[in-house]
Amino acid sequence: MRRSITTLVLLLAVLGLSSCLRLDPFLYNPSTDIDGYYLDDFDGETEIQLDASYDLPDSTTHVFTLTSDLDGDLAEIYAIYLGDIARIAQDTVILYLHGNAGHLDYYWPRIKLLGNVGGNNRFGVLAIDYRGYGLSEGTPTEEGLYVDTDAAMKWLKDNGLTDDRLVVYGFSLGSAPATELTANARTLQPSKLMLEAPFASDEVMAQDASGLSIPGSFLSNLQIDNGDEIRKVEEPFFWIHGTADSYLNMETHGEVVYGNYDGIYSEAHRVEGAEHSDVPAVMGYPEYTKAVEEFLLIQP
Amino acid sequence: MFKRLILPITALLVLAACNVTRVVKPLEKGEHQVSASLGGPAIVFSGAPLPIPLSSVAYAHGLDTGLSVSAGLHTTSLMFGVAQMDASLHARLWQAKNDRFGLTMSPGAHFFYDFNEQNTRVYPQVDLGAWWQYRENKDHLLYGGVGSWFELYREKAHGQVQDHEVLPYVTLGHQFRWDTWSFQVEARYLGMFYRNDELVVTYLTPFNTGTSGLYFGIGKSFGK
Repeated sequence: MRRSITTLVLLLAVLGLSSCLRLDPFLYNPSTDIDGYYLDDFDGETEIQLDASYDLPDSTTHVFTLTSDLDGDLAEIYAIYLGDIARIAQDTVILYLHGNAGHLDYYWPRIKLLGNVGGNNRFGVLAIDYRGYGLSEGTPTEEGLYVDTDAAMKWLKDNGLTDDRLVVYGFSLGSAPATELTANARTLQPSKLMLEAPFASDEVMAQDASGLSIPGSFLSNLQIDNGDEIRKVEEPFFWIHGTADSYLNMETHGEVVYGNYDGIYSEAHRVEGAEHSDVPAVMGYPEYTKAVEEFLLIQP
Repeated sequence: MFKRLILPITALLVLAACNVTRVVKPLEKGEHQVSASLGGPAIVFSGAPLPIPLSSVAYAHGLDTGLSVSAGLHTTSLMFGVAQMDASLHARLWQAKNDRFGLTMSPGAHFFYDFNEQNTRVYPQVDLGAWWQYRENKDHLLYGGVGSWFELYREKAHGQVQDHEVLPYVTLGHQFRWDTWSFQVEARYLGMFYRNDELVVTYLTPFNTGTSGLYFGIGKSFGK
């Protein structure tokens, strides 16, 4: 028995020494097996599908790179701007922050749909692949999301954008940098916040999945906490969520974020029957773009 | 579909009922037993079933005839920086005169301590199991039972109300028993009253509730 106990103690010591595994990296599911961004010619899976009536002039689609600095860790990240770059000093711009899977091609129809809000290129749209996504360099991290988003804001500011014409739109994982950089502004203070299918926090995810009140720290070191950060947001807030979202439950995630907002104006769109990724499609593209346009134009 | 493995899937690492039944039939007085358990709930990932590998080691001791104690350490949780321990009493409620049937009640608790942010949790647990030594001259046991974890915390993240007071499960298993070694295989179905169709994780169950899992255990007895 002594030998068994010795073996057991050694085993536990080894396991204890290796107790540095965390689940944070599982938050990100980037796709990097691409050799370029194909946009309308991309033949892989996309979140939604648009017909040709939503096509935009090639001359208003710009693919380029930005340099993002994460404490000296410089990464070239890819971005797409829809609109006339020379008019950023006059236009209102939507900064679109995508979800945890894929890359910009995967979200291209969503980006293009926003480019159709109010008519072709009525509003500028900027989207980025966070570090480690698509062709962007680096590895995804929580702070990486924030500095990459801030790098996008710097680019917009360098091109003449001011706080009052910046609207941030975060989808799913993108709700984290969207909320964080609206609640705790860095380069620019967004004038409006739009969240589609946001998650409240990793703690809600853990509790939903386990059925128990376990703290999020049991699983990860993530500090993403949209459910609390939203309390700091004063700017007008647009929330849209599918009632049948089987990935980020509308009740436990979206309603919490929406309910904790205490700013000057908010509107909620609970899209009946929509899942996590098909809210614009289920709502109807005309209805979706109209709702987005109306929010962009409100002056609360 | 793009895969969307995300951290809540592995919330299962600390999910209730994460080991085989520690003591099916109370040990003999003075008997010691060390054991290991591996297995867990199954999820559907990228269209394929994926078992979650929960592991633990345990020690049990026969305090008296029909009364044992056990304590376990959950090694998978430990690898993730969480000390998860369980401790239980195992009391014989009833045993047939021919010693081939019996009922065992096991009150206990699971304790969690997170080394990263020093968060703690305690979840009481009660199991009620029945065993059947189905062959006269063999010690092998068929067993089954019901049990539950109990939620002591009424508040969840962001001030939301925890409306699950219990996390019940049913078990069905077989324990092969030889002189000093034993081997268990056990199926569990847990959280059967809770819907699972609007969660980030897709549990492998025949219904839209709870989750099912398969567990294996091996034990070595001393001092019999």
